[in-house]
Amino acid sequence: MPDDSERTEIHEYLLLNRVFEETVLEVYEDEGIPELPHLSMGQEAVGVGATYALEDDDWLAPSLRTRAVMLMRLSIRDVVTGMYGTASSPTEGRVTEHHLGTSENHILGTTGLVGSHLNVAAGAALSARQLDEDRVTAVFFGDGGATRGEFHTAINYAAVEDLPVVFIIENNQWIEETPASEVIAVEEDISEMAGHDLPKEVIDGQDVDEVIETVSAAADRARRGGGPTLIEAKTYRYRPHAEVIPERRDEAEIEEWKERDPVEVHRERLLDAGVADEEWIEETRAELIEEIEAAFEFAKDDPMPEADVMDKVYKDMDVDEDGGVVR
Amino acid sequence: MTEQTVRESINEALAEELERDERVFLYGEDVGDYGGLYQVTAGLQERFGEDRVFDTPLSETTLGGTAVGAALTGTRPIMEIMFGDFLSVIADHLINYAAKMHFNYTDDTSVPMVVRTTYGGGDQFGLHHSQDPIPWFQNVPGLKMVAPSTPSDYKGLLKSAVRDDDPVIFFENKQRYEVTGDVPDEEYTVPLGEADVKRSGEDMTVVAVGGMVDVALEAAESLADRGYDCEVIDPRTVVPLDKETILDSVKKTHALTVVHESATFGGIGGEIAATAADEALFYLDAPVKRVGAPFTPVPFAENLEQEYLPDEEDVETAVVEALEV
Ligand SMILES: Cc1ncc(C[n+]2csc(CCOP(=O)(O)OP(=O)(O)O)c2C)c(N)n1
Repeated sequence: MPDDSERTEIHEYLLLNRVFEETVLEVYEDEGIPELPHLSMGQEAVGVGATYALEDDDWLAPSLRTRAVMLMRLSIRDVVTGMYGTASSPTEGRVTEHHLGTSENHILGTTGLVGSHLNVAAGAALSARQLDEDRVTAVFFGDGGATRGEFHTAINYAAVEDLPVVFIIENNQWIEETPASEVIAVEEDISEMAGHDLPKEVIDGQDVDEVIETVSAAADRARRGGGPTLIEAKTYRYRPHAEVIPERRDEAEIEEWKERDPVEVHRERLLDAGVADEEWIEETRAELIEEIEAAFEFAKDDPMPEADVMDKVYKDMDVDEDGGVVR
Repeated sequence: MTEQTVRESINEALAEELERDERVFLYGEDVGDYGGLYQVTAGLQERFGEDRVFDTPLSETTLGGTAVGAALTGTRPIMEIMFGDFLSVIADHLINYAAKMHFNYTDDTSVPMVVRTTYGGGDQFGLHHSQDPIPWFQNVPGLKMVAPSTPSDYKGLLKSAVRDDDPVIFFENKQRYEVTGDVPDEEYTVPLGEADVKRSGEDMTVVAVGGMVDVALEAAESLADRGYDCEVIDPRTVVPLDKETILDSVKKTHALTVVHESATFGGIGGEIAATAADEALFYLDAPVKRVGAPFTPVPFAENLEQEYLPDEEDVETAVVEALEV
């Protein structure tokens, strides 16, 4: 169980995610943002809890919707400039903030292909074994990602080799515009799709404490050589898949999930336990808004990158625009 | 110098790199105890242990993905893809992942992995075990592709590939494992991105890739008897290409023929021809010729497969046709 100061810290991360995305939505609706928002609102507890549970040198491989990884491991300004692709953005405008990689902050680079990072994450765990390093890799993916061959092959390999990896399904039950139940041939828990011999945990993804506890236990086991764990966190996104896509889901379904809002659940718990009061929460929220708005102001004034930043294709060879070796 | 087969030279390169760098490991289907379908990794597991040389499931998806992940996080994986035809399975990891991560990272991180794979026809293995997949990947910035011809180049280039910080596909021609040649006894590497002039000549530049280098060299011998003096260039690294060596040669011979095993259409030969047209057109005194396979899958029947594969006669015909117009 986290102590009081940890609990307020966790709440701050939840608020950061929520307030950040509220701001993103507002700015996007007002004036647009170059990176099309794929908001995680409603499912923040999974990314926040898992990232919180892991060590700084554990690798995280986020899904396109695991905003928490980016917000907790990069600065707010990096995330915002990343969305604008400006000169000061973390990759100098080469790629969006969605799937960038950074070794310094142990975010494993991913791609725009949903689910292609599962074996890559297993590979990051394989390198920990090869180098005899005490680190764990956590990989996040949606129910859609779980329908790919990557899911089965990565879990099989990680399980048979006892690799230190934690697979986290953020099961928000919708795959873009298709309900998961229409395309996944299991009744209840989609983690059942993995018949492999590894521990499986199905948890309440709206409860950040449960996420932290489960991911910590899985990471501990992995660090001790106990191999991978598959965690299925049941959750829900409040917004459409991406902001250009009209909402097709039942309003009642969305409202039902909002009743178990992850930020609210945690807030009530803190208030009940007397760990924080309304005033602290409001102050924290106001500070975050200020910081986030400042980052947006900065990004909007930031110059665009120079063309030469594209010249980062090979590390070990000088190659011209036409693919020829430069001597 | 010691005479070695290509198989031995690759095996030695792998052993030396495993010995040299703890971060290197070697894995794939059957590469461990069995020593690989083509026995290229024979004895390595025994020597370096199961931690460094090991078998994987029959899942190229796992191989492709884990190699990228392992390479991104501090190791230098060498994986074996049994047949180059199966590169299609890891195309996503090669094209969207390995090739793009250096670009996609905020820092200097790259993907130092080597994909060793076999390629080429001549064994009647049919349409899914005989292809030359080089053109599938030549349009992917970020990948390097190496296709050597001699045992010493195989060894020296593989060692460079393992030490290289970028992802390299290393193409091993199935017909060449038994080919012998002199290999230096002392430690050496052959740099990536440098073509080699395998035969010098005055009348025609023949650029030949991988298994086609010997075909071109033999054709050059017959052509010499007929009075045509060919220069044979082996790019060794196909992508990125050492255009300078090729263009310098074309400016000297004023003629160009390219030879590769994959289909003529859409092959690297077209790129080499286009480069000459772009940068050396007015040096050319003859039409540029491309020698490759017809635009069909690799056929099975012995006579059909032989018909399919480019051979000395095809090269000779092309060269003579070009020089006699
Ligand atoms: C391989 C691949 N197929 C399809 C897409 C298009 N696409 C992007 S997100 C998405 C839905 C993903 O659903 P899920 O994996 O459940 O994650 P969620 O969006 O719910 O977080 C689809 C179909 C893609 N980017 N990559």
